[in-house]
Amino acid sequence: MLKIWSMKQKQQQDEAASAGTKKKKVTAAQLRVQKDLSELSLGSTMKTNFPNPDDILNFELTIEPDEGMYRGGSFVFTFKINQNFPHDPPKVKCTQKIYHPNIDLEGNVCLNILREDWKPVLNLNAVIVGLQFLFLEPNASDPLNKEAAEDLKVNREGFKRNVRTALGGGSVKGESYERVLKK
Amino acid sequence: MENEIPPALQGPTAKEKKYDRQLRLWGAHGQMALEESHILLINSGPGVVGLETLKNLVLPGIGNFTIQDSAVVTQADLGVNFFLEDKHMGQFRAEHTCNLLKELNPDVEGHFITEPVELFLNKPNALKPYTLVLVTAPIRPELLSQLSSHANATNTPLFYIHSVGFYSHFAINLPLAFPVVDTHPSPESTTDLRLLNPWPELVQYAAEKTKDLESMNNEDHGHVPYVCLLLYYLGQWRKDHDGRVPQDYKEKTAFRNLVSDAARTNTPEGSEENYDEAVAAVLKSLNPAEPSSAVKEIFKAPECQRIDEQSPSFWIIARAISNFYDKHTALPLPGSVPDMKARSADYVQLQNVYKTKARKDIAEVLEDVRRIEEEVGKKTKVDEKEVETFCKNAAHVKLIRGRPFHVVQAGQSIKWGDRAKSLAQMLTFPGSLLPLYIAFLAYDEFTATPNKDSLGSASQIPGAADARLDVENVISVSRKIIDDLINEAGTFIEDPEYSEVLSTTADFVKELVRAGGAELHNISALTGGLVSQEVIKVITEQYIPVDNTCVFDGIRSKSEVIRV
Amino acid sequence: MTLAMTGTVELEPSQPSNARAKWKHMDTVLDRSGPFTDPDFRPGETPKESLARAKVLVIGAGGLGCEMLKDLASSGFRDIHVIDMDTIDVSNLNRQFLFRQEDVGKFKAEVAAQRVEKRSGSGVKITPYCGKIQDKDEDYYKQFAMIICGLDSIEARRWINATLVGMVDEEDPDSLKPLIDGGTEGFKGQARVIFPTMTSCIECQLDMHAPRAAVPLCTLATIPRQPQHCIEWAHIIAWEEERKGDILDTDDPEHITWLYQKALKRAEQFNISGVTYSMTQGVVKNIIPAIASTNAIVAAACCNEAFKIITSCNPCLGLPGTDNYMMYTGDESVYTYTFEHQKKPDCPVCGNLSRPLQVNQDSTLGEFLDSLTERPEAQLKKPTIRTEAKSLYYQSPPSLEEQTRHNLSKKLSELVENGEEVAIQDPAFPTTFKYKLVFQK
Repeated sequence: MLKIWSMKQKQQQDEAASAGTKKKKVTAAQLRVQKDLSELSLGSTMKTNFPNPDDILNFELTIEPDEGMYRGGSFVFTFKINQNFPHDPPKVKCTQKIYHPNIDLEGNVCLNILREDWKPVLNLNAVIVGLQFLFLEPNASDPLNKEAAEDLKVNREGFKRNVRTALGGGSVKGESYERVLKK
Repeated sequence: MENEIPPALQGPTAKEKKYDRQLRLWGAHGQMALEESHILLINSGPGVVGLETLKNLVLPGIGNFTIQDSAVVTQADLGVNFFLEDKHMGQFRAEHTCNLLKELNPDVEGHFITEPVELFLNKPNALKPYTLVLVTAPIRPELLSQLSSHANATNTPLFYIHSVGFYSHFAINLPLAFPVVDTHPSPESTTDLRLLNPWPELVQYAAEKTKDLESMNNEDHGHVPYVCLLLYYLGQWRKDHDGRVPQDYKEKTAFRNLVSDAARTNTPEGSEENYDEAVAAVLKSLNPAEPSSAVKEIFKAPECQRIDEQSPSFWIIARAISNFYDKHTALPLPGSVPDMKARSADYVQLQNVYKTKARKDIAEVLEDVRRIEEEVGKKTKVDEKEVETFCKNAAHVKLIRGRPFHVVQAGQSIKWGDRAKSLAQMLTFPGSLLPLYIAFLAYDEFTATPNKDSLGSASQIPGAADARLDVENVISVSRKIIDDLINEAGTFIEDPEYSEVLSTTADFVKELVRAGGAELHNISALTGGLVSQEVIKVITEQYIPVDNTCVFDGIRSKSEVIRV
Repeated sequence: MTLAMTGTVELEPSQPSNARAKWKHMDTVLDRSGPFTDPDFRPGETPKESLARAKVLVIGAGGLGCEMLKDLASSGFRDIHVIDMDTIDVSNLNRQFLFRQEDVGKFKAEVAAQRVEKRSGSGVKITPYCGKIQDKDEDYYKQFAMIICGLDSIEARRWINATLVGMVDEEDPDSLKPLIDGGTEGFKGQARVIFPTMTSCIECQLDMHAPRAAVPLCTLATIPRQPQHCIEWAHIIAWEEERKGDILDTDDPEHITWLYQKALKRAEQFNISGVTYSMTQGVVKNIIPAIASTNAIVAAACCNEAFKIITSCNPCLGLPGTDNYMMYTGDESVYTYTFEHQKKPDCPVCGNLSRPLQVNQDSTLGEFLDSLTERPEAQLKKPTIRTEAKSLYYQSPPSLEEQTRHNLSKKLSELVENGEEVAIQDPAFPTTFKYKLVFQK
C-alpha cells in the first residue's frame, strides 16, 4: 500500500471534497433509468404512471392505440426494473386479460428484446416502441395465445371481430376477457 | 432405461446431491473413476502444496489417499499449513494432516506412512497399490529417478511439484500413450453438419422442406430449418458454378449474400430468424470435413498401424475409424444438431436424420472393430459403448505422448533431446516463463549438490542460510543450463538477447533464493488447485491435461505450459 | 502516510518470539528484498506489522469465501471479517471445505468463521456477519483496509463496487479501499484488483460477464425443440397458469418434481427426449458447475494480491498502467491471460465522480435548477434531478413531471440533507452530473 495514495494524489486534479460522505449514492440502475426516462418519447397514445414517484424503477405504462385492430383499447403494462439493470432487461407484464396472439392470458409478453435479444445498450424507449408495435402488427407466427394466432392466420376478418368482442369484455371461444375500452 | 422407472422415484440420490456441481462436468463415469483411485503423496519440505492438492481431491471424492511423510510437526508448520493444529507439535505430520483431511469427506479413505522415504521405497512393491503418485520437492535425485522408472514401467502417472516463495512448478510424467476420448470440446466447435457432402437421406429431407420455397406463405417460409436453406441455396450456387461449392472466403461471402438477399422482409419483424441463422452459419459450416492434425497423427501412430492381441481398445477403435476415413474421406458423423428456428416436428425429424446416419456410421465402425479383433485374435471384446463415444468425439480425440521429466543430478548436464531446438528459440520470447523453469532446474541442482563444508549428503536449500552466497552459485548453475541448451540446439543467441535471457533468469533465481525454501500459503494453495485439477483430468480421462510442465509466477500472476 | 495503517486493530504489545516462529516461512520472504521489490520496501518489522494490523473483509463464505478465509489466515492476516447471507446446502459440500454434513442449514459465515478461528489458533480473529452486504453502510466498510470478494452475483459485485467508488474522498487516504474480486464457473475463473476511482472498476468491466442466454417465450409456448425448452415452459408458463399464488421455491423438491413431470409430459407430446430431474434443477436454478480446484486457484490468486498489497513485498496487480485482470481456463491444459483492463471514461460509476457544490439551503429547487443552467460547465437546458431516495424533479415523462412539479417551490433544505448526492441529467448531454450539495453556513 506504500505508494498507492501518492499515485492517487498525482492522478487527481479535481478540487477537494468537503462534505461528509455517508449519504446514500444514486445507484447505477437509477442513473440509467433516469437517463432513459429523459429520452422517452411517448406521443399521444401512451402515458406513464408512477405509483410512488420516488421509485422510478417501478411504473405502469398505458398504451391507447389510435390505429389498427386494437384502436380504442387501453392497455396497462407494469415495468419492474431491478438494480442489475441494464445488465438484466426490465420485466414487463400486461395487467389485463386480453386477446392477443403475442400476449398470454397471464399477461406474459413475447417481445424479443425483453428476453433473448436484450442488450444493455437498448433503452426503455426501445421496449415501449416494441410494445406499441405489437398492437399495430400482431404476429401470428410462434404465438403465446395459440387460439388468437390461429384466428389471425385463418380468418383475419374473424380475428378483427374477436378483438372487438374481447376489448368490450366479451367471450371468445369460451374464454372471457377483460373490458379494456378507453374511457 | 430412464423410462422404466416411474418419474416420481427419480429424485437424486444423496450422493448425486452432494456431488451435483461436479457431476455436471465429469458425469457419473468420471466420478466412478475418481472413486476407484488411490493417490499417494510423497511429502517433504514445508509440505503445504501437497496437502492443498489432496484437499481438492478428497472433496470431490477420490477413493483412497496415502500420505508418506516422515517429518515431525514444527512451529514453522503451524502458520502456513491449514491441516495442522497447535496441539500436534512434535508429532508425525503425516498422521495429523491425514486425519484432518479425512474430516473433509467421510466417503474417502485416508492412510499415512511415517517411515523415511528411502526405506519406504526400498520395500518390494511399495508403490503397487497406487494409481497415481504425487511427489513434492525437495527430494533426492536418486529417489526421484526411482519413482520415474516406476512410473514408466507401470504406466502410473507421476507428478513432481515445487512451491517456493512466489513461484511454483509442476511436471507430469504420463504414460507414453495417453489418449483422451472425452475431451469436452466447446459446443461451438463440435457442430458437423456435412453440408458440402450430404448423404441421400439429408438431401431428401432438405428437398422436402424446401419444396416450393419461393411460394410458401410467410409462416412456413420463416420456419424452414436453416440446414435445409443452406442446402437449397448451395444447389442453386452449384448450378451457376459448374457444380462447385463456394471455395474461398470471397465466394463464401458472395454465397452468404445470396442467402441473405433471399430472406423476406415483408414480415411483421422485417426479417426472418431462420435466414439470419443460415447467414451466420455460412462461414463456419461450409468447410470440408478434414480431420485435425492431432487426429491424423493418431491414425499415423505406430500403435494404430500395428494392432496385435495386446492392443488396448483405444487403438483398435482408432484403427477402425482410420479405415472408415480412408473409405469415406470423412470421420463418423457425431450426429448432434444445434438448436435452430424450426417447428418442433420438423426439428425432431431433422435430428433423427442426423442420428440415424450417426448410428449407421457407428455400426460400420463396430463391424470393423470386430473384424480386427478376429484378425489379431484379441480375446476380450471392445465395449460397444466405447466405440460409440469414440465415434461421437472422433474429431476431438487427443493423444498425449507422456515423457519423463528432468531429474537433475549433481554435476550432470540436462538433456533436452528433440525439444532443444524449439526451447532454445523460446528462451528469447518476451515474457516467456521458460527462464523460470530453468531457475527451478538450477535450484534442484544446487539442492542435489553435496555441501563441501558439511559431512555426508545432507541436502541444502538455496537461501536457507546465506542468500547472498547461494544466489551467485545458483545463477552460475542456471547459466550453464542455458548454455548447454543453446549448444544442444546447435544454435547461437546473439547479444543483447543473450544477456537479456541471462538477466531474466538471474532475477528468477534471486527471487527463488530469497524464499530460502519457504512456502507461501497462497502460492501453494493456487498450485495445489492446478495440480489437483490435472490429477482429476488424468484419472477421469476427460478434458485435456497439461503436456507436460507448468510454471506459475505469483508476482505477475501469470502461468505458462511448456513441453520439455 | 501509508494506507496500510487503515483498518487497524491494536497489536498485543511485543509478541513472544515463539509466536513468531509460526511464521518462519513467510518471514523469510518479508525479511529480505527481492529483485522485483520496490526500492522503498523496508524488509522486516514494517510489512509484518502491516499484516498483523490489517483488518480485511471477505464478502461471501461459499466456494471462494471458504478458501479465502483459509488463505488469509494462513498468510498472516489476523483480523478478518466475513459476510454471507446464505445457509449451507448439501450440494456445497463438494468444495466448501469448511462445512460438514451436520452443518447443513446453518449460516455459512458463522460456521466458516468458527472453523478457521479454531484451526488457526490464538491470534486470529474471524468476525462473521450473516446478512446482506446492503445491510451495511459506509461506516462499516470504512473500517477495513481492503475488501476481497468471492461472490456469484453480478448485482452484489456492482453494489459493493459502486459503494467503494462512492466512498473515495479526495482528502482522506483512508477512504480508498482496494477491491479484489474473484469469480469461477466450472474450469474457468478470474481474479482482478481494483483501486476504486484510480483504475478500471467492476462497472467498467461489465462486458466481461456474458449475459445468460435466453430462449424466445414464443418458442417455449409454441415450438419447443430442446428438453430445456420444455423445462423453461413448465417453469415460466405452466407454473403460473396452474399454480397461481404458490411461490415457486427452487429448493423445494416437491416443486422441482412438479416442474420435472410437467416438462417430461410436454417433451413426450413433442417427441423430445432428454428431460431429466437433474437438468430440470439445472435450468430452473440456473446452476453453474463448481469444483474445488478452480475455487482454490482463483481464491489464492486473490489472496496473493491481498498479501502483496498489504506487505509491499512484491509488486501487486492493479496499479494504474499495469495488469489488473487475470483470466484463467483449465479445461484444456492450463491457460492464464493477465492484462490491463482499461478504465472507461464514460463509466456510470467511476467515470464521473460527484463533486461538492455549495448551495444556499434556503433557495428553492426551482431557483437551484435555474442557477445550474447558468453554470458554465453545465449549461443545462432541461435538467432532471434526483437523490438516491427521492425523485426531485423530472422533465419527462409528463406524469412524473406533474408528480414532481410541486418540489420546485420547496426549499432545498426540505428536500435534501446537507452533503447528500444528487444526480442531474439533461437530454442535451450524454453524461450525468453528480454533485454533493453542501449547505452554505
